[in-house]
Amino acid sequence: MNEEIIKIEKLSKLYENGDLSVKALDNISLSVTQGEFIAIMGASGSGKSTLMNILGCLDRPTEGYYYLEGIDVGEKTDDELSEIRNRKIGFVFQSFNLIPRTSALQNVELPMIYGKVKASERTGMALSLLEQVGLTDRAHHMPNELSGGQKQRVAIARALANCPQIILADEPTGNLDSHSSEEIMEIFARLNRKEGNTVIIVTHERDVAEFTDRIITFKDGSVIKDENLKGVS
Amino acid sequence: MLLTENIKLALSSIKMNKMRSFLTMLGIIIGISSVIAITSIGASAEAVVSKEFQSFGMNNMYVYLNWEAVRDQPIQYADLILPEDIEALQARFPDDILYVAPSISASSETKVGRVRGKLGMTGVAADYNKFYHMEMIHGRMINQSDLDGKRDRIVIDEAASGYFFNKSDSVGETFTVTLNGESRDLTVVGVFRKEASLFDQLNTGESYTTYIPYSLLQTVDDSTSYLELYINGDKDQTQLGGEIVRYLARIKDKVPEFYRFESAEVQMDMINSVLGTLSIAIGAIAAISLVVGGIGIMNIMLVSVTERTREIGIRKSLGARTKDILTQFLIESMILAAIGGMIGTLLGIGIAAIGMGIAGVALIIDPMMILLAVGFSAVVGMFFGLYPARKAARLDPIEALRYE
Ligand SMILES: Nc1ncnc2c1ncn2[C@@H]1O[C@H](COP(=O)(O)OP(=O)(O)OP(=O)(O)O)[C@@H](O)[C@H]1O
Ligand SMILES: [Mg+2]
Repeated sequence: MNEEIIKIEKLSKLYENGDLSVKALDNISLSVTQGEFIAIMGASGSGKSTLMNILGCLDRPTEGYYYLEGIDVGEKTDDELSEIRNRKIGFVFQSFNLIPRTSALQNVELPMIYGKVKASERTGMALSLLEQVGLTDRAHHMPNELSGGQKQRVAIARALANCPQIILADEPTGNLDSHSSEEIMEIFARLNRKEGNTVIIVTHERDVAEFTDRIITFKDGSVIKDENLKGVS
Repeated sequence: MLLTENIKLALSSIKMNKMRSFLTMLGIIIGISSVIAITSIGASAEAVVSKEFQSFGMNNMYVYLNWEAVRDQPIQYADLILPEDIEALQARFPDDILYVAPSISASSETKVGRVRGKLGMTGVAADYNKFYHMEMIHGRMINQSDLDGKRDRIVIDEAASGYFFNKSDSVGETFTVTLNGESRDLTVVGVFRKEASLFDQLNTGESYTTYIPYSLLQTVDDSTSYLELYINGDKDQTQLGGEIVRYLARIKDKVPEFYRFESAEVQMDMINSVLGTLSIAIGAIAAISLVVGGIGIMNIMLVSVTERTREIGIRKSLGARTKDILTQFLIESMILAAIGGMIGTLLGIGIAAIGMGIAGVALIIDPMMILLAVGFSAVVGMFFGLYPARKAARLDPIEALRYE
């Protein structure tokens, strides 16, 4: 089961604003095996979010290659990328990004609607996802009626819709207290251990990173350290 | 596919901004309601007018001396239409002219006992009642011997009978009237009943409609400048009218345009063409208000797209394709416009119903119109929603997610 699910080669991202240009990612190569649990760390502005957005097919690199399950993502059209985001990747944001005035349940159903899952099956599947994150009783609450930790759990349930292999989370605990952070990390750990999902999270906190098996550290758009916590695998 | 989802979404977003949605729809509401109101009133009016013409006599025609053609020379007795001319016309068009008589009328004050009133007296030939939807309820109509003998006879309607004589059957009673300056006693020979036409209603003058032999009204000589005809309805009236006046001109040795004609059908065609022009004008007003309404929708949809940029980013990050976002916003603008169209339709029908209610005329509503109005508003919504929807659909997911 040691399949290479993500492979990036000589990836660079350049932001150009008039005369000002920022190299957010500088010639990065990296490879992730299916079932890995990875934390990405590094100072603010080091390019972590930039990388996550590219991995999540939300953004495109200026240079280099990104292979997802062996497929060159760079050659895909915008609509094909939408389909990849819908089926293969679950993205969790620091700011939750739930759709306002839309219930937790409907938020979780959304990726299934775009994935053309039948209406009759959707609700049941969404409810069982909410159950997985322990929010069955909040299914019909609106986002503004939920706590930060609850919102993030809804967001995780939503990321799990359509059963993607890869879960990407950009600072999922960034807005949460330590107790909620722990709950969230336990969910990610369970998904990785029990369901075999490949999970990549960005964090600033060492104790959050320690839930994972591998910590990649960034500085100024480059990888400066890639440590394996669980010994040889 | 996503249709039901999109409709639900659109409805909830319209509900969320009730006031704003209503104000946005206002242009469409005003446009559609005015069109529906005016066309419904127009259709009802047209129906009334054509029914009126039908009862008044679609086959009525008038032939008259064209005074403009004779302006330069003094008018001669021989130029006028004489009894032998009428006979010649009847001989020439035996199947087409069913009734013909000089069109002459007069009115006079009268008094029966202590009851005062005014009589409008129309000169008629025999058999007039056969062509003008009159029902004789007592006695008889003016006949040929009344005409030939210039007898002092009169036929009155039931209302006049009731008013002057306090009974329905007043055959044998007499009126004293003034005709051409001399006093005459007219004997009632018949009482008729006639459904009041719109013209009769408008003519609410205190005078009662009565009929007398036309020969009674011809005092100086027996010429006339104005003929009333009832013609065969199977013929094309414009053509027949032309033939009649040309024939008349020929036997009188005159230029063809010396006599003219006018017919109910020709008049109705004219009214219909006026109504047609009116509906084109209404169409133009509707088009303008719908364009204005459409621009309102475009404006608010642009605002909505900007407000919901982040939401669009989230949807895209979850797998929404360009097409999904496009349809979401297109359906929202279409529904917005269609609801405006529906409200406009109801409002328009309401206005027309009130208007027609005041006029006392039955309202005619064409269901096709309603479908057309709502459908057309939706098309307007789609057209003006296209630009904002495309703008939304083309948003870059990461840019949209970063939008604050
Ligand atoms: N849209 C953009 N336009 C211009 N520069 C950008 C843009 N997005 C990011 N950058 C720049 O790219 C660099 C990397 O940004 P990125 O968001 O990846 O950092 P990060 O590691 O996620 O930081 P943080 O820990 O604060 O979230 C920064 O210097 C940032 O200013
Ligand atoms: Mg970041």
